[in-house]
Amino acid sequence: MKQFLSIKKITIVLVAVFSMVAVLSINGCAPTKAVAAKSGAQLWAENCQRCHNTPSPASYSAEQWETIGMHMQTRALITDAERKKIVDFLKSGR
Amino acid sequence: MKQHIALKQLRWLLALVVLTTSQLYSQTSGSLDSSILDRLNTLEQQVNYKKPGNDHFMMVGLTTFGFAASKNTNTLNGVGSTSKNNSFPDADNFEFSPMFLWRHGTKFLMEFEPSFNNNGLSVNWADISYFAAPNLIIRAGYLVLPFGTYAKREAAGWIDKLATDPMGIADMTPTDYGVEVEGGLPLGSMKLNYDVALSNGSQLLSDGTLTSGNVVDNNNNKTVTARIGWLPFSNSSLELGVSGMFGKVGDMGSPYANAVGNMYAFDLNYVKTFSPVLLNIKAQYNIQNITNENFINPNDTTQSYTFNNHTTAGFVQCSVRPTEANNFLKNFELAGRYTSYNLPGNSTFGTNQHTVTVGLDYWLSWRTVLKATYETYTGNSTASKVLGSYNGLTNTNTFYLQFSIQL
Repeated sequence: MKQFLSIKKITIVLVAVFSMVAVLSINGCAPTKAVAAKSGAQLWAENCQRCHNTPSPASYSAEQWETIGMHMQTRALITDAERKKIVDFLKSGR
Repeated sequence: MKQHIALKQLRWLLALVVLTTSQLYSQTSGSLDSSILDRLNTLEQQVNYKKPGNDHFMMVGLTTFGFAASKNTNTLNGVGSTSKNNSFPDADNFEFSPMFLWRHGTKFLMEFEPSFNNNGLSVNWADISYFAAPNLIIRAGYLVLPFGTYAKREAAGWIDKLATDPMGIADMTPTDYGVEVEGGLPLGSMKLNYDVALSNGSQLLSDGTLTSGNVVDNNNNKTVTARIGWLPFSNSSLELGVSGMFGKVGDMGSPYANAVGNMYAFDLNYVKTFSPVLLNIKAQYNIQNITNENFINPNDTTQSYTFNNHTTAGFVQCSVRPTEANNFLKNFELAGRYTSYNLPGNSTFGTNQHTVTVGLDYWLSWRTVLKATYETYTGNSTASKVLGSYNGLTNTNTFYLQFSIQL
């Protein structure tokens, strides 16, 4: 019985968190000016190392970076704008 | 777009060269030298060859290979037994996984990763993603479900700082057939990401454990798995996540038809440079609750037994890497991890397990690593004595040497 009560509590907490997220998302899905102005190099340094070492731009060709950028977006769930800036940086840094 | 502009510019340049050259030659000889024309044709052909197509295919992949030496001690009813093993490669930590990526324009991406490991040849994932709108990806196929982050982001050998996976964490994250919607969202100076999947769901087996990845659903109910990630700082250094997985797990028409599985996961990832080191903290805690069912006694099929089918698994890992040192020292990384994995008591497999793992890595490149890892395991059986499953106390100390690369 206690276990089901705690499950109920956790479910309520989860629903509350998801609702909060939905409200926040609807109200303001836009980056601040400072965040929007970040360069591809900065985003590369900040986001890649969340999971692994930062990759060298020389590792892949420009075409390959486009494909890898899409693959990484499905894993790390970076935003579209971040992916485009990071891929542009990696292509130009080769 | 930039490439097309560059190609256009190159064409204009070629035209200009032709015009200028022809003018020069018309003044001197009155006709264009055929060798220059040939050269221009060759250049134009080269430009066309370099022009990117809509589709792109590439193969990457990873391999992990190593050696493990272990000493195992088991104490049951006051009687101890010891065994020593070494394996080359260590059967649980070898993997060869090519990954195929097909991109069609900028909207479709197909991913396929087969894997050769101790289980033979298997598939890690096989799916197609449609980049439907900014920050909205729809995918379908054989998916790693969005339950926590370890299985989807951190399990690869060249990413994991230690030679072993934290017990239970990846095992409790199914790979399943289904559809998924995911994306990242900017939110002022913060970020959010969401990931929701609908899949066939796990299947409850006759001993109370779960299995997954069935092509045909074992019941008519689908399982919902969802994760929300929150990055509160503008430098993305911290990510906090909460996940849930809910669905029926019993076979349709079986005594377990109404069995339900409810799972929750909480994850944390923190990466920041505190000069002179880069600090990385990762953690995840999984909770799995399955409704209590009556299972057939394996020793006497006329009898049944039940137990509280509650499982937890969690780990916390910390690693540091020098940022201000010579190139040799900068390639070292020190990591430590504590893992706890508690399986239901009074079942046939109940155990309270803990591991302490420490490791020293040497990074040969950003995606190539040599790892030396030492792990101590303690497993205290909580399995049913009545069912004859109680297994006493087990201690295992293992030393791993491992090489992992992503290509």
